[in-house]
Amino acid sequence: MERKYLYLDHLTCIGCETCETVCDFIHDGSPHIRIYVTENKQYLPINCKHCDDAPCVRVCPTDAIYRDEDGAVRIAENRCIGCLACLQVCPYGVPFYSLKVRAITKCDMCADRREVGLEPACALMCPAEAIQYGPLEMVLELVNERRARNIPEHRRELSEEELRKSVSSGYVLL
Amino acid sequence: MRGIKFSFLCREKPNPTGKRVAIIGAGPAGLTAAGYLVCRGHDVDIYDKMPEPGGLMLFVIPEFRIPVERVRLGAKELEEEFEVTYYPRTKVMEDEREDEGDEFYERVVRLSELRENYDAVLIATGIWNVRRIGIPGDDLEGILSPLELLFWIKGYELGYVPRDKVPKLEGKKVGIIGAGLTAVDVAFECNRLGAEVEIFYRRTIREAPAGAYEINILRNRGVKWFELVTPKRVIGENGRVRAIELLRTRLGEPDETGRRRPIPIEGSEFQVELDYLVFAIGMVSTPPVNGSYIVTDRRGRIVVDSRHMTSVEGIFAAGDVVNGPTKVGRAIKDGLYAAVSIDGWLRGEP
Repeated sequence: MERKYLYLDHLTCIGCETCETVCDFIHDGSPHIRIYVTENKQYLPINCKHCDDAPCVRVCPTDAIYRDEDGAVRIAENRCIGCLACLQVCPYGVPFYSLKVRAITKCDMCADRREVGLEPACALMCPAEAIQYGPLEMVLELVNERRARNIPEHRRELSEEELRKSVSSGYVLL
Repeated sequence: MRGIKFSFLCREKPNPTGKRVAIIGAGPAGLTAAGYLVCRGHDVDIYDKMPEPGGLMLFVIPEFRIPVERVRLGAKELEEEFEVTYYPRTKVMEDEREDEGDEFYERVVRLSELRENYDAVLIATGIWNVRRIGIPGDDLEGILSPLELLFWIKGYELGYVPRDKVPKLEGKKVGIIGAGLTAVDVAFECNRLGAEVEIFYRRTIREAPAGAYEINILRNRGVKWFELVTPKRVIGENGRVRAIELLRTRLGEPDETGRRRPIPIEGSEFQVELDYLVFAIGMVSTPPVNGSYIVTDRRGRIVVDSRHMTSVEGIFAAGDVVNGPTKVGRAIKDGLYAAVSIDGWLRGEP
């Protein structure tokens, strides 16, 4: 089976919270994707990146964290002992302890939905097309295509002066 | 590109329940509710006054934020694969009222009529009116509402609005009052069309609802940002806007929103020359009633109970028409949960 990727493009995210809403809906009120808002109101959706060499998989003492055939990093709740080691090593602070299931939980790329041929809900519903799901090549192509469509009008090429100003104010427009 | 999958909960239409639901408004709340209801086997008809479904996502929010094609394909999928029937150019109204975008409807249907003909009705008509500021001169020619300006620009690009309806902004000076996302979108679009744009805000960038990130992008593109100013009056010439008189403000104690209250400084008046002025200070809910038939609050929003049901049994409401202006995600959430309630109510669940 070809590995699938779930990519969140922060540059096209409009912070509308649709991803968080639908994830919350299908996970009974515990969204696995969250929009973080920086002090200057930049919206950053964060969820599990399903890393290639995932530190959570390596550190889990009971092998409760594993990779499934689509490439999603998943948790077998019955094997989780709640040691929180995965939480310590995740560079994104993604896993969280669920008091409901008494185990660590996190995004599993909508495993239940994938089993019946449906794709992750956040990617299907994102109005801005900022979340892409599929094989790596397809995802990269879609992300580049989406960004390219923005460049001519919104994120046009900057002059040298504008670029210098934008760098000094803490971000670069692409 | 793929469309928004409003029916994200199922792959195909399940066995029909025989129940029919009418949804008024084909914006994010209405379309998401339709997606849920068709996945539960109900037949859905959607009424909308605009020529095609999508609501503010399609007709107002700029293309660089939400691609038109993604909305169109999503609505089309509901129609083709889930047999949702759209009734475009159809305004549903119990009484009478004029709103933005009314030039597109060709038929009027009464809300009570829909209630009689369907098993349930969902109102998701959103916010199609703008708040007026109420200062001298705010009715001069050249004063535009953000809704009509964005709507004309997008409507023209979609092929629904004639070219002469869109103001020629190239080389013109446009002033925008407000600092929310609507103000930012107006500024982006005016800047893109070649106008010289200035935003006036009564607080500082720290309190601006749109946030420093978006405002800094605009500033880097040449949009000027005036903070701590409040409009006093609009100055006209031959019935047309010529300038705006502003008062400087200072920030006082926090108000009920938690933001520091702007206090005008008397005697600090100054004027800025303008060709166009946009008051982007909020939009108003537009329910399909005008003070009777179903209960609304003093801001015109529909009052609903925990089931999203209005004061009339069988009529539900969701989205901005209930909450006032919010984010697309909030409207989608409301549409989803209202649809869950409608489904339960149709199945006779307590």
